[in-house]
Amino acid sequence: MSVGNALRRLVPPGSLVLFLLFLTGIWLTISPFAMTTQPSGQPWSASTINTVTIGAVLIVVSLLGIVVYMTLALRDLLRKAQARQQADQETASS
Amino acid sequence: MPTIQPTLGKYLVGMVASLLLSLSGGWLILAPFALGYQPYGADWVSQTTNNFATGMPVAAFALVAFAFFFTALLGTLRAAGVLAAGKQPEQAQAALQPATGLALVPAPAQSELDRTLSTLAAALAADLSARRQAGSAQVSEQSIEQSVSRREA
Repeated sequence: MSVGNALRRLVPPGSLVLFLLFLTGIWLTISPFAMTTQPSGQPWSASTINTVTIGAVLIVVSLLGIVVYMTLALRDLLRKAQARQQADQETASS
Repeated sequence: MPTIQPTLGKYLVGMVASLLLSLSGGWLILAPFALGYQPYGADWVSQTTNNFATGMPVAAFALVAFAFFFTALLGTLRAAGVLAAGKQPEQAQAALQPATGLALVPAPAQSELDRTLSTLAAALAADLSARRQAGSAQVSEQSIEQSVSRREA
């Protein structure tokens, strides 16, 4: 299996979209301060709390989705490689 | 060689994450009205615009990610043989048939009909050629007899 093929298995198109959503989460978290809708030194307004919370949810969920997918896909690849190696050894010994 | 079954959990994780993100996008769209920081009937405040402009793409892209993971899951299930690789021939023919309500002949029966018809056509052709040969032989015999009788006369 080539490196490109392995990378495609580890990072499918769905994970790329999840990464976009991760970036969106970062924007949501900083947007009340970047757009100065949240005055500095004041208690957070309802919109700031909501936007920052949803941004954090986006960051955590998308990152978890990417990492867990990559971990499980890597485990599959390793199992496949081990099985192939074992089969090669069996054919060489017989 | 031992067969390795790929885990389906990775696709399920991706699908669940995408669904959660899609719901978050939906909440972002609704939040300004639900939490009351967007007054009804007034122009949208900048928070509302930001939440709406972010929530719509988040919901849409999360659904796209869900579709990607779901398609990958279906592909893996097909490769493992759990799902059929494609439509069965009879199903495909039923899908292609016009909705006239007429019962058309299914594919295997049609091929048998073709075979029977071709056998019948071959038998008819052989019979016709045999008859022609017999007819030409009779004609030649008759012409010989006529010429002989003329000579005798």
